[in-house]
Amino acid sequence: MEKKGNNKASGLIVSQQRFWKKLWRQKALVLMAAAPVALLIIFQYVPIYGILIAFKDYKPKRGILGSEWNDPIFKEFIRFFKNVNCQQIIINTFKVGTLTLLFTYPAPIIFALMLNELKAKRFKRVAQTASYIPHFISVVVVCTMLNKFSSLGGLFNDIREFLGMARVDMNSGTKYFMWEYIGSALWQGVGWGSIIYLSALSNVDTSLYDVANLDGANRLQKIRHIAWPAIMPTTTTLLIMNAGNVLSVDFQKILLMQNDTNKNELHVLATFIHYQGISKAEFSYSTAINLFQSVVSFIFVWCTNMVVRRMAPENSLW
Amino acid sequence: MAKKNQVKNKIYIGNRFVDILLVLFFVIMSIIFIYPFLNVIAISLSSNSKITTGQVSWFPKEFNVKGYEILFQEAGIWRSYLNTIIICIGFMICNLSMTSLMAYVMMVPDFVLKKFLSIMLLITMFFSGGIVPGYLLIRDLDLMNSWWSLILPGCLSAYNVFVYRAFYNGISHELREAARIDGAGEFQILLRIYVPLSKALYASFGLFAIVGQWNSYYSALLYINDEAKYPIQMVLRKIIFTAGTSDMVTATEMLSNGDLNPLNVQYACVVATALPVMVIYPFLQKYFAQGVQVGAVKG
Repeated sequence: MEKKGNNKASGLIVSQQRFWKKLWRQKALVLMAAAPVALLIIFQYVPIYGILIAFKDYKPKRGILGSEWNDPIFKEFIRFFKNVNCQQIIINTFKVGTLTLLFTYPAPIIFALMLNELKAKRFKRVAQTASYIPHFISVVVVCTMLNKFSSLGGLFNDIREFLGMARVDMNSGTKYFMWEYIGSALWQGVGWGSIIYLSALSNVDTSLYDVANLDGANRLQKIRHIAWPAIMPTTTTLLIMNAGNVLSVDFQKILLMQNDTNKNELHVLATFIHYQGISKAEFSYSTAINLFQSVVSFIFVWCTNMVVRRMAPENSLW
Repeated sequence: MAKKNQVKNKIYIGNRFVDILLVLFFVIMSIIFIYPFLNVIAISLSSNSKITTGQVSWFPKEFNVKGYEILFQEAGIWRSYLNTIIICIGFMICNLSMTSLMAYVMMVPDFVLKKFLSIMLLITMFFSGGIVPGYLLIRDLDLMNSWWSLILPGCLSAYNVFVYRAFYNGISHELREAARIDGAGEFQILLRIYVPLSKALYASFGLFAIVGQWNSYYSALLYINDEAKYPIQMVLRKIIFTAGTSDMVTATEMLSNGDLNPLNVQYACVVATALPVMVIYPFLQKYFAQGVQVGAVKG
């Protein structure tokens, strides 16, 4: 019995020695990894360690370790859940996230299938190029355009007037926020998002279409039996990724869309985190809310992945 | 027989009809994609009276470049252009080199730390410190108001490393073995074999890095307070959403004279911010689309 244990220990030592020897032989690789790993530790892992302040009464002068633990430990979390706006903020986040998913996920698929039906190749390319352009416009520029187009004399109001509606200041209040938010996301994303489906469609064997034509298949039948199976795997993969990210709302855009008339109602988790942490310097409070958001998001990713693993294991992330 | 032909004809006509509808649909879509920006350019170049009466649509009316004059003379646009270019290029260099190094060592099949590094990277895909811990870190490192605060935190992303590694794995391992037998060191192999064979990868991801950095404002909002160091997006944000044109002397004077519409300056700034990317875009479209596809192979 004793001998066996001894063997195990010596085996461990041998394998440890082997490890260090091998590491020494591969020192060039270790050296190459040094800079990126340092970046990873400093800029990814140190902030993860910094999450500790969510449980502490963080005082910049005393540092993370020197600050006192909160009593009770979840003090900042409780403070958030007791906030009168808490419920509204969480509902807003889910509303914005799910509505965005509902529109921006299927749109590129439909767009790609329709583009694929265009017969004139040259026109197809022009339409494609035009559709990519909005993707390269920055969020500040998009929000500037939204802001100006929504004003009384702006483009959106010209359209409203053309459709027989009265001109209104669409920037004030939250009534038009959802339209503008999702509309601009579609405008920027539909063309770019379709690239991945178009490349799957371009791999379809053209002889399949010839055979279908001989059999007298109509357009919808061809889409259903040739084009759709070609993009099916891509659609599921992207659905998982999007469903997992449903909480990661584009808060940088919302920050720019906030103004005096709507900034009390127009908060999602991320903008509230920004407002508390940066504008009001409530470091511990903000970090606590941020941690809450991360945990909920992670549960989302986990759950979608579980569902996918049951249904189509080859598409799951882990 | 004749009946069958008739049916076929009907289908044919129906098909043509759908084709025409499709073309019409995409013409309208293309207008929706392009028109807003063309309208912005047109308004930035039109006279005050035409703008206020809402007559400008596709093309400038009563050509007027005063908005641009003010923007380039008073708003310090040249300086912020220079700032942005330095930030973008610095970011691209750090991004490509760090990602390459990491992806290369993780591709070597018998590297002892391979598994450890993979896990280390994977964790960062699902967990991050968040806004405040990142902000406090930059403050503690004394990187506030330094461009490094915009370059370093985002320059190594796990996703990019995995895409690079997949791309490197497409390069024959025998090539690497042969180079090693010839006495080449690991770094030399990366530099002389892998980098030249991955030109397509570097073209796409280099472009993504530059455009991403050019278009980002949030990090600068957090870390850069000194207006002399602002990247271009922050200048636009300031002009549109905070200060307006109130601190520009000539602008205020011209506004009160009615020579200038506020939109002249504001839209001139939009054009100055967005146009550089749009101008290079058609030439580089191939690489952009390619990049999405390279990513998709792994995704």
